[in-house]
Amino acid sequence: MNATKQLLQHRQPMIRFLGKRHTPTSIDHTPHAHPASPTHSLPESFASYRQKAQQHGPLNQQNHLPIGAIGGKPGASLGPVEAGKGMFFDRSELPARFQRTPWTQAEIDAIESGGASMHA
Amino acid sequence: MFRAMVPRAAPRSLLRPVGGAQSSIRPSAFYVLDRSRRGYATEAEEKDLVVIGGGVAGYVAAIKAGQAGLKVTCIEKRGALGGTCLNVGCIPSKSLLNNSHMYHSILHDTKNRGIDVGDVKLNLAQMMKAKETSVSGLTKGIEFLFKKNNVEYIKGTGAFTDEHTIAVNLLDGGETSVKGKNIIIATGSEATPFPGLTIDEEKIITSTGAIALQKVPKKMVVIGGGIIGLEMGSVWSRLGSEVTVVEFLGQIGGPGMDNEIAKLTQKLLTKQGMKFKLNTKVMGGDDSGETVKINVEAAKGGKEELLDADVVLVAIGRRPYTAGLNFEKIGLEADDKGRLVIDQEFRTKIPHIRVIGDCTFGPMLAHKAEEEGVAVAEFITKGYGHVNYGAIPSVMYSHPEVAWVGQNEQELKAADVKYKSGSFPFSANSRAKTNLDTEGIVKFLADAETDRILGVHIVGPNAGEMIAEATLALEYGASCEDVARTSHAHPTLSEAFKEAAMATYDKAIHY
Repeated sequence: MNATKQLLQHRQPMIRFLGKRHTPTSIDHTPHAHPASPTHSLPESFASYRQKAQQHGPLNQQNHLPIGAIGGKPGASLGPVEAGKGMFFDRSELPARFQRTPWTQAEIDAIESGGASMHA
Repeated sequence: MFRAMVPRAAPRSLLRPVGGAQSSIRPSAFYVLDRSRRGYATEAEEKDLVVIGGGVAGYVAAIKAGQAGLKVTCIEKRGALGGTCLNVGCIPSKSLLNNSHMYHSILHDTKNRGIDVGDVKLNLAQMMKAKETSVSGLTKGIEFLFKKNNVEYIKGTGAFTDEHTIAVNLLDGGETSVKGKNIIIATGSEATPFPGLTIDEEKIITSTGAIALQKVPKKMVVIGGGIIGLEMGSVWSRLGSEVTVVEFLGQIGGPGMDNEIAKLTQKLLTKQGMKFKLNTKVMGGDDSGETVKINVEAAKGGKEELLDADVVLVAIGRRPYTAGLNFEKIGLEADDKGRLVIDQEFRTKIPHIRVIGDCTFGPMLAHKAEEEGVAVAEFITKGYGHVNYGAIPSVMYSHPEVAWVGQNEQELKAADVKYKSGSFPFSANSRAKTNLDTEGIVKFLADAETDRILGVHIVGPNAGEMIAEATLALEYGASCEDVARTSHAHPTLSEAFKEAAMATYDKAIHY
């Protein structure tokens, strides 16, 4: 047995059991070049898009989405959405889908004709 | 929902339509019209994930995401799932490679094994039917898996209308649109055409035509000595064609194949009857006559030659396929080769749109796409995924098979890495001897100092299966000694693998 022990002292296997795989606790989600990218760089647009884009909170903020995916964190954790004291949001400041849909000509006609235009 | 999204401090009157009184006098008919168009809820249910493309990348991502409980839709235009790989690539070609090898063996390799066979005839129609049976069984299998994992399958062509919406032109006629919180583009690739030659899939063919020829061509010219060209060349050469491979570079197998292995493979394929013209470029072709005339000349200029063929296979590579996707409309970018640009988490510049498989970076291999399919689903659901681009095996299913993983000798030399190399021939392996199938070698490349495996290159029987062990070793960061000290069953071909590892850190026993 001692002989085996001595023999093994010379060799440390490189394959070792490292335990069960775990998702790392801190992951850097800021965009970097893809490992197989031939240029090893990202176009400027990746950063600039994140600067201006708002998607469940500003995209350019660090650690906002701890698990990477959209909706990865409850909306409440993004902070209060209330306007400051004495301030009011205008509807035009909201994302486009919450803004007013412009009246169409058909709707205007419907109102003006008391709905008759819909049956014309 | 709308109320929850607006600032809580906002006065309620701001949220009501202009003029409360006005809305109360609206005619009821108008109210219906109003609701249908102006409702704040989306018209269609929004999916958690929409996958465009039901190939190996797309269907794997869809199933994995379905397993994680996401509501998933997969859009596929082919009418069958599995993409190029299952329908017109890996799977049908392997069916033909396997059966043509059996035919070739029965024809040429039975006498010395003690088997006398009578009249051997090729039934090409039946061989193609066997191929189709394999393909249809597998594609239907994926449809079943979609149902099992609650993946909605839409047969049609998808195109972006905005960042979250995809309009689908249905195969059965009509249109629909799907909305997704996350979108994966996995539209794959297509064969790169050769400038000046018009692909008709009969006389001038790509790999798609090469798996569906109606009769064995007398003469076949393969443009491109990469894996696809050599595999399909092998099939038709075994079935009786006179095959000539024209390659621009100085070696076959493409850039990843080790020089030594490429030379040995070329020798073995030449012995089987294939002809090679390396360092040769194709100048043009003429398919107006009964046969196709191909003009070639030495790559560095010089001697011109005219090759005559019944069928010309164009196998110069593949290019990303994103036609009709309308990705430019939403501002996604592609590089000079048409690959969509992504970051380390497969995200495009619009973070909820991700790209995997052949239409983005990395080798165009089905198993790489599959790895990405799993990883991308995990990035979406868990925020963390894993693909090791340094340990993706390549396999050429000729006979003998060629397989490799990691770096090759020329790459190590170029990077100035100090390495040692060890190899073991199958001619010294007992199982190969009993099989009368002894051509080929196993070659290890390891770091000179640490003995860590850097690359494994195999040409020989069962190389495609054997490379899995090398890939695992590479993934774990094993040393040659680790492999050499692991017991391998006797008598098996895998002993050659072990002995080659032995030969790298010490000496092989049987050679």
